[in-house]
Amino acid sequence: MPATKHKNIFVVGAISPSFIAEKIQAHQDKLNIGGHSIFLGQVRADDIENKIVTAIEYTSYEELALEQMAAIREETFSKYDLTCMHIYHSLGKVKAGEICLFVFTSSSHRKAAIDACEEIVERIKKELPVWGKELFEDDTYQWKENN
Amino acid sequence: MMKVNVLIFGPLKEVTGTNVCEVNDVRDTNEMIMKMNAMFPGLDKKKFLIAVEKEIVQVNTSLNDNFTVALLPPYSGG
Repeated sequence: MPATKHKNIFVVGAISPSFIAEKIQAHQDKLNIGGHSIFLGQVRADDIENKIVTAIEYTSYEELALEQMAAIREETFSKYDLTCMHIYHSLGKVKAGEICLFVFTSSSHRKAAIDACEEIVERIKKELPVWGKELFEDDTYQWKENN
Repeated sequence: MMKVNVLIFGPLKEVTGTNVCEVNDVRDTNEMIMKMNAMFPGLDKKKFLIAVEKEIVQVNTSLNDNFTVALLPPYSGG
């Protein structure tokens, strides 16, 4: 089976606010866009039995995740009238308060951008082989579970 | 002798103590899981999906020499 090269969505560590700003800036010359929708996932300092989450460490089966992300991307483009779509997910350690997921959809009208963005976020959480380990301040941890 | 390479992810690594192992002489995924349950006590109580050569399989699936199989516990990305 030939190895197909899929667009990489993974970044090591947190996604910086300046990176997000640059991505928005890069769309200023696309004059057919009328609306963007952006979702930012942030690591929450959950209190679990009196222990505070200080970071989440993400791992993934990257090859499979990128294949599945490519399929989600294709299906979303055929379902919604989008101009473009950008997705970034952290791997490794992301501290509480930092950004771990960035989904950015653009369209000529707002509805397609908003609906597509929401659907992509839901599908990423449900379908991508990614695991988060919640690290506590006392060096213990527990594996996160998505609802 | 045929072997398959097994990749183990997320919380399942706690049960196996490793993120990769080899399983020898198994014809299909059912045989492979039976062998792994004997190798790793507690694995039989865990919920996971199986991917064979990066394809998630829902039914018992034939394995060839050098195939890569992955055990995928419930996801928690995002």
